[in-house]
Amino acid sequence: MNRANHLPIKFPSWRRRVLLLAVLSGFAVLLGRSVFLQAMHTDFLQQKGDARYSRVMTLSAHRGMITDRHGEPLAISTPVESIWASPPDIEAEPAQLKKLAELLGIKQADLHKKLSKSRSFVYLKRRMPPPDAARVMQLGIPGVFMQREYRRYYPAAEVTAHLVGFTGIDDKGQEGMELVFQKWLSGKSGSRHVLKDRRGHIVEDLEAVKVPQDGHDLALSIDRNIQYLAHRELARAVEEHKAKAGAIVVLDAKSGEVLAIANQPVYNPNNPVKIAGKSRNRAIVDIFEPGSTLKPFTAAAALEAGTFEAESRIETAPGYMRIGSATIHDAHPQGLLTVSQIIQKSSNVGAAKMALSLQPQYLWSTFNQMGFGSPVNIGFPGEATGKLRPYKSWRPIEQATMSYGHGISLSLVQLARAYTVFANDGEIKPVSLVRMKEPPVGQQVFSAATARSVRDMLETVVQPGGTAPHAQVMGYRVAGKTGTAHKLDVGGYAADRYVSSFVGMAPASNPRLIIAVMIDEPSDGKYYGGTVAGPVFSAVMAGALRQLAVPQDAPSDNIVIPPEDAPEVKEVV
Amino acid sequence: MYMLSNRDKITAPTYDQGLLWVTLMLLGFGLVMVYSASITLAEADKATGHQSTYYAVRHAIYLVIALLAGFVTFQIPTRFWQKVAPYLFLAGLVLLIMVLIPGVGRQVNGSQRWIPLGFATLQPSELMKLFATIYVADYTVRKAAFMDSFTKSFLPMLAVMLVVGFLLLREPDFGAFAVIAAITISVLWLGGINGRIFAGLVVLLVIGVVMLIMSSPYRLQRIVGFMDPWADPFGKGYQLSHALIAFGRGEWLGVGLGASVEKLLYLPEAHTDFLLAVIAEELGFVGVAAVGLLFAWIVMRAFAIGKEAVAYERHFSALLAQGIGIWIGVQAIINMGVNMGLLPTKGLTLPLLSFGGSAIVANCIALAVLLRIDWENRRLAKGVPA
Repeated sequence: MNRANHLPIKFPSWRRRVLLLAVLSGFAVLLGRSVFLQAMHTDFLQQKGDARYSRVMTLSAHRGMITDRHGEPLAISTPVESIWASPPDIEAEPAQLKKLAELLGIKQADLHKKLSKSRSFVYLKRRMPPPDAARVMQLGIPGVFMQREYRRYYPAAEVTAHLVGFTGIDDKGQEGMELVFQKWLSGKSGSRHVLKDRRGHIVEDLEAVKVPQDGHDLALSIDRNIQYLAHRELARAVEEHKAKAGAIVVLDAKSGEVLAIANQPVYNPNNPVKIAGKSRNRAIVDIFEPGSTLKPFTAAAALEAGTFEAESRIETAPGYMRIGSATIHDAHPQGLLTVSQIIQKSSNVGAAKMALSLQPQYLWSTFNQMGFGSPVNIGFPGEATGKLRPYKSWRPIEQATMSYGHGISLSLVQLARAYTVFANDGEIKPVSLVRMKEPPVGQQVFSAATARSVRDMLETVVQPGGTAPHAQVMGYRVAGKTGTAHKLDVGGYAADRYVSSFVGMAPASNPRLIIAVMIDEPSDGKYYGGTVAGPVFSAVMAGALRQLAVPQDAPSDNIVIPPEDAPEVKEVV
Repeated sequence: MYMLSNRDKITAPTYDQGLLWVTLMLLGFGLVMVYSASITLAEADKATGHQSTYYAVRHAIYLVIALLAGFVTFQIPTRFWQKVAPYLFLAGLVLLIMVLIPGVGRQVNGSQRWIPLGFATLQPSELMKLFATIYVADYTVRKAAFMDSFTKSFLPMLAVMLVVGFLLLREPDFGAFAVIAAITISVLWLGGINGRIFAGLVVLLVIGVVMLIMSSPYRLQRIVGFMDPWADPFGKGYQLSHALIAFGRGEWLGVGLGASVEKLLYLPEAHTDFLLAVIAEELGFVGVAAVGLLFAWIVMRAFAIGKEAVAYERHFSALLAQGIGIWIGVQAIINMGVNMGLLPTKGLTLPLLSFGGSAIVANCIALAVLLRIDWENRRLAKGVPA
């Protein structure tokens, strides 16, 4: 055929066989390696693979809503979107990036800084409103992703801040009812085991999706309207009297449910920053010496023990009384007073005489049954128990001062609760922050006769000649008691710093509500409980009774304000 | 008797049907796997306009062109290739020089291997594999009488190979050079080169390769990466570790066609150099074994055709057929070895299967030449002139 073929060429055929064998053994080695990789080494390799692209995603459960007793929302979780990016996968024109920065509301330089990171996950903007996030996603930039999160929102903001509390970034309760009912509200988050491609898209589910179990809603005992009212009136009083702080508790007199609980100062739970000193639910976690608001219990104990009767007369002249080396004073020397008048005029000497007529153990037992010195078990973090010293260590002077609320301390909610005894014919009710289906059974402490008798005495407090004419409510009979206590200071009582309080109930003929108001350190001249706390009580009680459509038990012109020149009925303590 | 056996020969097939079908099978399988491996990549890439069929459509067009080229090639007598062998080789050298000229050659991922032609790109090294095979076969036949002479048989070829090697390593395309070197040595070996010269050549080659690797840091990096991909699985060992994971996930029967996770942008070059890893993941050991066996079958056929050609004293055809077999076989082995972590990463595609126009056209032309040699053998067997 050609030149070369005419030459005596001889290709050694063994060489061909050797070469073929070499090539074929190459394939044989490959098949062996394939068996090793695909049948023997699989666990190791698959585990490496899983480490790179299988991910367990948390499916966050929807946190339950906190509502007031009528279902009005006080804390709700709204869906928000967080925008994140995988910088290595970003493909965008400069104009697109400019638009992106604009929609995210961040500076272009910041965006570039975030996108220059080599990590494959970086948040661009957290918690955007869904419509805004949708606009970002519409840019269609590869490598930009959206992630569903929930943001806690408190519609009533500072009005319910102390009670409801707030959650942290991880959606866990930090304060208040959010903390107490964390488990109930949060539900159980689910999970999804998925394969993801390198850009983070889910490719497939590796196992059945564990569906998140949404949290339960929580209905508080609060009535939002009454809460607003209480908050507003308290804030007004604290401002007007330049007070340091204040608290108010509104109880349903029959069921013990808390219809409102407000404090001053406040904070906004939607943005809980710099809340030190403002976040305490003072009504529950702080204690104070109540002062004269304790006198009705002393009187009730004396009536119950039989050492005095309602119409018994007690000599309070000359307006002071020596006990051992100590002396106790009345603000005004009065003379011979009935038990009822002692309550009305808030006589310390009279109260002390009643207390001293009782065995220490008896008085202690009464106070103890009132819940003083023990937790109210309202289910709130940091609940105060108050201080009631054991009767064995009582000296007579201590027994005397305790009768008008000195040397004993309790929280405002404890005080309010104790007054349920007068509203329920001697039965004290447990209190609750959660709405209850049926009124709970209380504990009978006094006889119905004693309780009614003291309630009648409390009615005189707001009438002319009493310490709190400003606590009257139009159309309703009011029973209540003022308190004006010196504050404790280092080494004794401070001469010019007071806690002004008023606790009362209405309608007195069949009490529906109990309201306790406490104003801490009013410093604008006025400091008597009747003039500082009384008007708050009156305003809130009037509004709340109207709100609840409680029938009037008095004519609409029942309010009798003493003439301007009438001497003010003062009390100290 | 004579009449009967003659009729047998006349009615016998006039071409190697098995070889043709195996080739078509591999090409078809390649199209399916390239599509599967490239969908996500194409969708994610702005350069492809986010079209999922971007690579599949182009691959199909290349297949049509390659099959047409193969059909035309089959019409060309083998002796034509022998005549034009030196010119083809020179043309190949010119292309290898052109690709290095800035502005003519295009650089991708640090390698300057492609010449853009407007509608497609040409990869000269793929054509050079074909031209070199033809040239070496011709050379060996021409020097057949001097196979014991170092200066006359070996030295000229060494000089030529140094030039080719120099040009290919400038791109750089180490893989192409390895394949061409393997073809050259194999053909010289088959052509009966002196045993001592051969031994010396092997030693020289080993030294050369080692020096090349030492001289170039990026090549050394690739070596280190392949020895233990898990030492730096997110750096140098990234690609190989993902290829190995794909094998491990595939097990015996694979995760199913289209179900690969590695191809979801984890495994780079899934549709080209690492197509076998996707096959391994989706079709398991069965798929890998099928690919390996089909290639082995092509090599065996090439050697059998070469043996027949020797019997008809068609020495050039014999060496060319076996050279083509070595080309396809060695390149397949290297690519599969790279995929399985047995060999350092080279940048070699899987013949007939991987995405890449120049390679497929060159492979199809080569197999058409092989079929032509067989066709001529069969005609000679019938007593008809080739």
